[in-house]
Amino acid sequence: MMLFYKAWLESRTRFLLGLLVIAGLSTVFVFYNHDVRTVVTDHDVSYGEYIWRGIFKGQLRDIYVILTLLLGWGGLDRERTHGTAGHTLALPVSRWRLIAARGLTGIVETAALAILPASLIPALSPFIHESYPWLLALQFGALWTVGGILIFAIGFLASVLFAGEYSAAIAAIALLFGYSITTDLPGIEHYLVDIHDVMNGSGPHGFTTLAAISITAAATIWLAGYITARRDY
Amino acid sequence: MWLKAWSESRARFLAIALTLSALCAFAVLFEPYFRQHQVPIALRQREGSYTEYIYNLIYSGTAKGVYALLVIFLGLGGLQRERANRTAGFTLALPVSRLRVVGNQIAVGTIELAALALVPAILIPSLSAFSARSYPLSVALHFSVRWFFCGLVIFAASFLLSVVTPGEYTAPVVCYLALVLHTFVAAWHPLAGYRLNLMWIMGEFQTMHWNAAHSLLQPPPLSWPRMSVMAFFALLLLSAAIRVTDKQDF
Repeated sequence: MMLFYKAWLESRTRFLLGLLVIAGLSTVFVFYNHDVRTVVTDHDVSYGEYIWRGIFKGQLRDIYVILTLLLGWGGLDRERTHGTAGHTLALPVSRWRLIAARGLTGIVETAALAILPASLIPALSPFIHESYPWLLALQFGALWTVGGILIFAIGFLASVLFAGEYSAAIAAIALLFGYSITTDLPGIEHYLVDIHDVMNGSGPHGFTTLAAISITAAATIWLAGYITARRDY
Repeated sequence: MWLKAWSESRARFLAIALTLSALCAFAVLFEPYFRQHQVPIALRQREGSYTEYIYNLIYSGTAKGVYALLVIFLGLGGLQRERANRTAGFTLALPVSRLRVVGNQIAVGTIELAALALVPAILIPSLSAFSARSYPLSVALHFSVRWFFCGLVIFAASFLLSVVTPGEYTAPVVCYLALVLHTFVAAWHPLAGYRLNLMWIMGEFQTMHWNAAHSLLQPPPLSWPRMSVMAFFALLLLSAAIRVTDKQDF
């Protein structure tokens, strides 16, 4: 339990800042929908389409993607830079448990960030005499969670592979952009799912796809653990 | 001190330069492939001219976003970061003022920023010639100037935040969120007319126009007063960072 607490302490500032911004922007998107609508779309659209374009597909999703990537940073390489890796490694637990605690904490935080707009939008919409279906919003929440976990895993792996100061962050962002461009290339779509399309609901989002993404994310986190377990600190 | 500042930032600088170079090379060298196969990222440009394609993909598209996002990491400096790494004591023991330590970081960062802004201007026209296309150097340099001044504001904000906020990742997260939030503030009705959105300024959003032959998408003349205001604003942020560093207790 203390390992989870340690992982929480290390990531809580990033998580809480993200939570605050996603909650704030979701509220702005709903209450100032007439003003923001002109920013999100260049033509008159229905409330449901505006919410999809602005939140579940558009700006807020982009912010969510970057925030989940940021949650993946940290780990023993970061601790080595700060000179605290020795203390952590002296704890009577295996490196696998350290990685698992950090990974699980990140996954829970990623899910919380995904569920937040999915609950706020249907809850706040009646205040402006609009409505948004709970079921649809929660479906997007689930898609964001699954996609977000894979993106978190990319950031997590980068934090293990690249030891330099902020190198992991830059590499993770470059990897994500590289992946996004690659998935658009002809022929690639048969082998590589575009996570962005899955998250906004315009790509395949059946059980098989979501299971494949989850397994890939788990394998990525496992790879990060495997590298950490064998590294000399 | 110059070497120290360079050693601390070179990995970040080289990683960003590599990412930008890869994007530019990819966009130019795979252009026929993109159009022929109707790749979604280039769909809008399928029927357009080459300059429109480059504009939409590089100067107003993915490369611009990557540059703005990664410049945040270039700006992370100051002594606060060194305190976390327990090296602040060594740096402060050097027989130089704090102003010189931080000033060198800012100077090296500004030179690196200029070099990064020039990456597309060097690569796009030269690689275009290599693939039997042409892209005007004047237009490429126009965008480099814009990217530099907008990047300077992001760099300065990131630098100030890294000086005032504790925690290794707090400054980049807050700076990224500020970068996102400023686009909403800039779109707010009373401010919309001033075009304060840095991303719009970088990409000449809605100000590009065609030449008479409708073959070249070109930007309007560079607005030096606007660039000066941005440089002044960046200078204010950097001055604040220097002043805070000077007063900080390590």
